[in-house]
Amino acid sequence: MDIAAPFAKTGVIEATTNLWLAIPIGIIFGYALFHAGFTDSRRIAWAFYFKDVGVPVVMFSAIVTGMVGLWGLSLLGLIDISLVYMLPTYLVPMAVGGVLFGVGMVIGGYCPGTAIAAVATGKIDGVVFIGGFLIGSLVFGDFFPVWGDFYNSHYLGAFRLDQAFGISLGATVLLIIVIAVVGTISMIFVQDFVWGEKNTMTKARPFKKLQGVLVATALAIGMIFAFFPTESFIDDTVERPFYIVPRANMIEAAP
Amino acid sequence: MKFGTRWPPIPAGILIGISMLLAFVVAGRGIGASGAMTRLVAWVQHGLFPRATEQSAYFGKYFADGSHPLNDYVVFLLVGLLIGAFVAAWRCGELRMEVLRGPNITTRNRLLLALAGGVISGFAARLARGCTSGQGLVGGAELSVGAWVFLMSVFVGGWMVAWFVRKQWI
Repeated sequence: MDIAAPFAKTGVIEATTNLWLAIPIGIIFGYALFHAGFTDSRRIAWAFYFKDVGVPVVMFSAIVTGMVGLWGLSLLGLIDISLVYMLPTYLVPMAVGGVLFGVGMVIGGYCPGTAIAAVATGKIDGVVFIGGFLIGSLVFGDFFPVWGDFYNSHYLGAFRLDQAFGISLGATVLLIIVIAVVGTISMIFVQDFVWGEKNTMTKARPFKKLQGVLVATALAIGMIFAFFPTESFIDDTVERPFYIVPRANMIEAAP
Repeated sequence: MKFGTRWPPIPAGILIGISMLLAFVVAGRGIGASGAMTRLVAWVQHGLFPRATEQSAYFGKYFADGSHPLNDYVVFLLVGLLIGAFVAAWRCGELRMEVLRGPNITTRNRLLLALAGGVISGFAARLARGCTSGQGLVGGAELSVGAWVFLMSVFVGGWMVAWFVRKQWI
């Protein structure tokens, strides 16, 4: 059976159709960002003071959903994972960029996606943040020769956690789910401990019950994943030259 | 069960995850917000200095073979993001012009800090090849080592300066 997904790369849909379909996908994204409370800069910044840990909890939930979906569809043979663009790793530039990004996030109160959503809802600080963001992007691009070598350094190819840890992909999925669950529970504990019950996120019983069920489901799915060896997700024991350049070749060629 | 304006974090996160999964299935790529803004500045600068922008080591690729920098997946995604957030806020009666700030900071200072934070994040997102969504969430789901290093670094960086800007927020 031919694998149908990803539709744009297997020829099920035209490139132009794919572009237009980005709009409804963006609408869902923006709709969810608003309801996550991320159009409010205070709620984002409060995460760094444990006053409202909604940000990391939402991020964990989004990652787990995307991860289980992507690798689950691959396991079921519904998506050809070698056609999905995998983000390459440039280790040190990403670490340095991440630290700077965190600094900008707590000073500015937004990240790009949330700021755009905030602009759509009329938040003036979001508009100013975006103005700054455009300036920062421009500076990076126009003075690129200054940091270009660093930007392209420490390249590891499309390097996954399971490869780094030397464990199966399914076990890695379970590990991430466990980290997400433990992280969520401990952060809510710290939030309640430092700020008291009154500042906490929705505590109503039906919500607690619903979220409990979702967490239990994620853990159960993770357990199932952990039984499968990596080949059952990727359909090949050797690393195929998908995405970019095979990792082994790259390490040799690295300057 | 009515979710109201602010959903509990896990269902909200799952819906963000679903939008990401749809992009994987339909387009074979992830979502992202910062890439579209880089393309936007490249396009504006190209209007002012066409030759220099086309020869730029970083922006030049957006104009290769006569392509238009705004004719790209991430730009369409961004248009959707604007619509989605607008519709959600409108349905909840939350559309209003305001400056969000903590109780101990003036509007002017809040806006100055928003600008400074924006400049730093804009630079950082390019260096890290993506932002919270395009690098952190998508790479996180793809189990990319770089994305997880990025995510942890974001919180390290945030905590490093949180103390110094606490008056802005709490």
